[in-house]
Amino acid sequence: MNFICNIPFFSILLSLFSGTVCSVLSAKAAKIVNRVVILAVGLMSAILLLYLLSTGESFIYWMGHFPAPWGNEIRAGVLEAGMALFFCIIMYLSMAGGAHKLPGEVVESKHNLYYILVNLLLSSLLALVYTNDMFTAYVFVEINTISACGLIMIRQVGRTIEAAVRYMIMSLLGSGLLLFGLCIMYDLTGHLLMSNIKESVGLIVANGEYQIPLIVSVALMCTGLCIKSALFPFHAWLPDAYGYSTVSSAAILSSLVSKGYIFLLIKIIYRVIGFSVFNSTRMIDVLFVFGLMGMIFGSLSAIKENDVRRMIAFSSVAQIGYIYMGFGMGTQAGMVASIFHILSHAATKSLLFIAAIGLTDVSGGSRRFADLTGSAYRNKWAGVAFTAGSLSMVGVPLFSGFISKLLFAQAAVQVEGKMLASLIVLGISTVLNAVYFMKTVIRIYTATTETPYEGITFRHMKAYAVTLVFFILLNVILGVSSQPVVDMIGQGLAMFA
Amino acid sequence: MYLILLSILFPAAAGLFLLIRGRTPLSGEKGNTDRKTLLALTGCFLVITASLVFASLLTVKEGFTLFFLTKTLPIYFRIDGVGRLFSLLAVIVLPCAGFFSFAYMKHEERESRYYGFYLLVFGVLNGLCFAGNLITFYLFFELLTLSSMPLVLHSGSKEAVMAGLKYLFYSLCGAYAALFGIYFLYQNCDSLTFTTDGALRASAITQQGGFLLLTAFVMLLGFGVKAGMFPMHAWLPAAHPVAPAPASAVLSAVIVKAGVLAIIRVLAMFGKDFLRGTWVQSGWIILTLVTVFMGSLLAYREPVLKKRLAYSTVSQISYILFGLAVMDETSFTGALFHVLAHGFVKAALFLCAGAIIYKTGKTRVEEMRGIGKEMPLTMWCFTIASLGLIGIPPTGGFVSKWYLALGSLESGLPVFGVLGPVILLLSALLTAGYLLPLTIHGFFPGADYDYGSLQKKEPCKLMTVPVFILTFLSVLIGLFPNLVDGIIVMAAARR
Amino acid sequence: MIVSVILIPFITGILVPVIPFRKRWQKEVFLETAVVLNSILVWFLLLHHSDSTFLLAHFTGNLNISFRVDGMSMVFAGLVSALWPFATLYAFEYMTKEEHENVFFLFYTLTYGVTLGIALAANLLTMYFFYELLTLVTVPLVMHTLTREAVLASRKYLYYSLGGAAFAFLGLIMVIVYGSTTDFILGGVLDPAKTAGKTNVLLLIYVMAFLGFGVKAAVCPFNAWLPQAGVAPTPVTALLHAVAVVKSGAFAIIRLTYYSFGTDFLKGTWAQYAVMSVVMFTIVYGCSRAVKETHLKRRLAYSTISNLSYILFGAVIMTPLGLVGALTHLVFHAVMKISSFFCAGAVMHQTGRHYVHELNGLGYKMPRVLGIFTISALALMGVPGLAGFVSKWNLAGAAAESGNPLAFGGIACLLVSALLTAIYMLTIVVRAFFPGKDFDYRTVSDIRDPNWKMLLPLFVFSIFIILFGVYSQPVVDFFMSVATGVV
Repeated sequence: MNFICNIPFFSILLSLFSGTVCSVLSAKAAKIVNRVVILAVGLMSAILLLYLLSTGESFIYWMGHFPAPWGNEIRAGVLEAGMALFFCIIMYLSMAGGAHKLPGEVVESKHNLYYILVNLLLSSLLALVYTNDMFTAYVFVEINTISACGLIMIRQVGRTIEAAVRYMIMSLLGSGLLLFGLCIMYDLTGHLLMSNIKESVGLIVANGEYQIPLIVSVALMCTGLCIKSALFPFHAWLPDAYGYSTVSSAAILSSLVSKGYIFLLIKIIYRVIGFSVFNSTRMIDVLFVFGLMGMIFGSLSAIKENDVRRMIAFSSVAQIGYIYMGFGMGTQAGMVASIFHILSHAATKSLLFIAAIGLTDVSGGSRRFADLTGSAYRNKWAGVAFTAGSLSMVGVPLFSGFISKLLFAQAAVQVEGKMLASLIVLGISTVLNAVYFMKTVIRIYTATTETPYEGITFRHMKAYAVTLVFFILLNVILGVSSQPVVDMIGQGLAMFA
Repeated sequence: MYLILLSILFPAAAGLFLLIRGRTPLSGEKGNTDRKTLLALTGCFLVITASLVFASLLTVKEGFTLFFLTKTLPIYFRIDGVGRLFSLLAVIVLPCAGFFSFAYMKHEERESRYYGFYLLVFGVLNGLCFAGNLITFYLFFELLTLSSMPLVLHSGSKEAVMAGLKYLFYSLCGAYAALFGIYFLYQNCDSLTFTTDGALRASAITQQGGFLLLTAFVMLLGFGVKAGMFPMHAWLPAAHPVAPAPASAVLSAVIVKAGVLAIIRVLAMFGKDFLRGTWVQSGWIILTLVTVFMGSLLAYREPVLKKRLAYSTVSQISYILFGLAVMDETSFTGALFHVLAHGFVKAALFLCAGAIIYKTGKTRVEEMRGIGKEMPLTMWCFTIASLGLIGIPPTGGFVSKWYLALGSLESGLPVFGVLGPVILLLSALLTAGYLLPLTIHGFFPGADYDYGSLQKKEPCKLMTVPVFILTFLSVLIGLFPNLVDGIIVMAAARR
Repeated sequence: MIVSVILIPFITGILVPVIPFRKRWQKEVFLETAVVLNSILVWFLLLHHSDSTFLLAHFTGNLNISFRVDGMSMVFAGLVSALWPFATLYAFEYMTKEEHENVFFLFYTLTYGVTLGIALAANLLTMYFFYELLTLVTVPLVMHTLTREAVLASRKYLYYSLGGAAFAFLGLIMVIVYGSTTDFILGGVLDPAKTAGKTNVLLLIYVMAFLGFGVKAAVCPFNAWLPQAGVAPTPVTALLHAVAVVKSGAFAIIRLTYYSFGTDFLKGTWAQYAVMSVVMFTIVYGCSRAVKETHLKRRLAYSTISNLSYILFGAVIMTPLGLVGALTHLVFHAVMKISSFFCAGAVMHQTGRHYVHELNGLGYKMPRVLGIFTISALALMGVPGLAGFVSKWNLAGAAAESGNPLAFGGIACLLVSALLTAIYMLTIVVRAFFPGKDFDYRTVSDIRDPNWKMLLPLFVFSIFIILFGVYSQPVVDFFMSVATGVV
């Protein structure tokens, strides 16, 4: 076994331990450790990805060399490695973009706590990505929840505490359902390792026994993860959580945490239940319908919103709807589109959050649209970045959003019964996106003469501006040369089977 | 060919010249000398144009294509019988009314604009008469509307502007309805060059006959707007009274006839055989008869003289249209004859009315008691012309109505063959009813008329001579119908 | 080469705010030279085109960004590049009274490149790409004055355009999935083997895509943005909202109908009837609103709405002749409308008057401008001898020839609209030249015709209106060869 195969395990542990180490470091050192860890993990994931691409097959890593069914397993394929790399990039950029705000948002003494939480979050995300064991997955889901709660709550304003409690309750409900589902599955199959479960499920289905418990289990797991990733009817916790937490937290939460759960769901679908079995249940229709509804209602709520960050948060609801719509199509193409959208949305949404903070900063900290008028002139970089993010959301060619739309639509056409519904909703949702994002863009580019706020120049926000540039680049790269990414996703999915 | 072009382009260019030259409103001493040169120029232009037209009427035989508008649409000129007849009318009435205006327009402003457009109209009319295919005709038909509109709204009062716009929009509406038909004619004919006996392809008639009938009807209605046919006649009584009297004369005597000319052309394009006996014919006859009767009735009730004459035009033009609708050779002759007869008579009547307005300022009929004592010459002309319109024997009106009635009876149409002449007669009675009271009260004001205040108000020669000429002509064609017959027979048979 | 004509305007535009011009005339010379050079280049390219496709970049999968000159591109690119130098010249003069010129000229010139991109696109994706881009680069132009009105207008413009593009996108997807290629091929690219049994869905999507692209072409339920966008400076409303932007919509629809879905697939289906009814309604609706409107530029904008639907009407007849009609009107209307808009702009620039009722008596003080306005008005009405007649003749001729009963009704709509056009245009002319008896000439005493920079484009356009009116044959012949696929 190649040394590179240790990378998944190393990266999880590295981030986990660095979290612990941070607790004894000063805030500044913690920050450096945090950055270095993220970078290191990212670098390792990149190496892993290259290795996997060159070998062309996935591998399974036995923790402590205990073979299945006793040992705990980690599995790494192209998709996992790519996801890990991508998460690291986004996380690094989000941290860098929000760093200058941190002193104002979090009390000095809690800074290293903040970095602990971020590191923990990273480790749990990596674990969710790599794990091949349902129970490990559950454990890290919980770790993830707790650290996310911490990230929301660390900015101690009344609203964030309320939001965190809400998030906690909803999340725990979600994990509870996941656990239920897991238990039933364990009961049915007697396994916790994904590959073993899949075999048994195949047998069960072939024998035609235990149909109902199986479906119940699948449904419970799905619902649990849906709640956690804020699919439409369960999105009530989201706007507050994203809208009031610190900038970096919001960016990370919206673009990574929910995506981690979704990725886990994908893994469950492919690796635990089996794609064809999953498609034969009614779950996909349910996901499809709620996805569509989310696309519409999320946008409608966003249109009504008068607070720019809550607006972006509601937009996430709509975008998650897109992803579930892709699941609901029940085809390989739909799945590829969904995964691409995970990437594209992560890149875009964090960009929007980071850019929005630049705009609100030069508007006296207010997030109301009235105060944001003309803010793009006061902070040119943020203005451009916000515009780029918005255009991507609306699906203008050159940006990543266009490609995901393209993939979704192409996938939709191949599904007989769901084609019209998805195409039309896709169209309407684009219109709605255009409405609220373009409204904001025009608002920030509307010059006013009697503004009381100072502008900011490049010299005072070098790091911030550079981060934004990287974000935009990432977005454009995804938008222009999407083919390798799409191929990679396809390859990764093929490895799942 | 150059004669035809010249007779179109020369007046148009002259008109434009006057328009550009006289941009500022005339005023003061300088205005007076200016006015003289203006009148001299206009006079020259009118005379030259008239002679050009006469020359082309007499000499030009061949048609020619000027250029191609699109690949298949030539601008083509040719003088045929019908065109010759209408051109004759125009070339007589326009200079007469023009010279009349020299005197009449003294009390109006912005004369150069008036003469400019007047000459433009002259040129356009020539183009209309000499047009050799439907597209060329349509071109000049539109231009006629546009160039004559400023004559209507000349005075610039709110009423006049509204009337001018009404005229414009009604006419355009008609023209577009006609254009609708032209599109389909173009599809179903080999060429749009005027013929005498229908240009539709036989295959088109069998395949799309019903639709083509509808098209024909739409075209008739459309061009009928210009001729003041019933449902779309409202512009006429609005536009005529507000225009200066000589302009009304031209409008009523000549421009309205453009609609008639158009309908003759359309009829020829579709072919009488195609339309005869169809619902289009009956519908059309009904409309014309309604118009004849209604026009007279409205004229009878109208107190304002010029408006009364305008309604009279509505009614009389539909005499012509009726003659065409019957689609009989005799009635066709009658219709063409009436074109001339009505043209001369109505021009004379309007000019008389203009003279009265100019001299006395009276516009309403009941104010005109004793007018014959004040302006005997004018009123004599008015009376003779009225007789012509009613159709009393020695005048042209009698001849035309005779032919019309005869043709209608000969045609053997089921109901209308008889009903038509009856209505024509009724309308003639009404005509007498609305025109003769002027004469009667004008010459016999009654016992209580105050002769003391009577003073001679006979207008100057510039006014009376044109009226004379026109009245004289209206009688002349009645006395010697054969003079005209030559042209008409030519027009009716070999156009 | 083919890319350079798109890039030159981009570079020029970006250089405008960057180069520190000392004097205004230097900037003018720089811009005008660049634009004229680019136009010459475009024409050179069009006249010496080869049939090869220039591949700029692979986008994703088998989708490319590529360019090609074919008949349709020649028409549209030729039109745009012929008009742009004049419009720029006019803009110099007009913009003396407006602020932030540099930004204005930046985006104005960018738009040139983007429009050419639409014209020269070789496949549906490239066109869609530039189509979206067009929306974005024109928004700052609409917003230019930054008044509340302008902001609202640009907001609406964005919503409508991006929303429309979202539905046009569905058409793109259909072509990608069901077509053999996304390249433009006259007659359509749909693969009959793939479309079997899916006809109705495809038709539905066609209608949606039609309406989507129709947003830019201001088809009826989606026309509200256009009159509102009239708050932009006149060179923008004249060139973009009468020609470049809105015609891009029409152009896109023609591409979609004739070159992607294909007329054989669409002709005689319910989809054809559906879009034709929409278009016919728009023709009449636009005109009626124009009659009601008293603001001069907005009136012209409504007139544009109706006239654009003339073009679309020609397009949805779905015969070669219909395409000829559409192309004729595409080009001729551009000349007529830009001329009338420039006249309106000249009036606004010289007098500051915006409403129709304020125009009384101006004809005596600005005879050249209003004289040209009259010519364009008559041309729009369709008086024979001017450009409008020829295009209407071609349109109606195509409709009559098609034998489609609804198209016959369309002819009636054209004529009703012609009448309404007469009403809304000629009332202006009458007001200007026949102000009425009690008009006080002192109110217009200090008004005069604008200088040569404004007048030159006007004269050129009016000459073209007349020229096209009396001698359109070579142009129409060319359109014919485009429509039959010879070029």
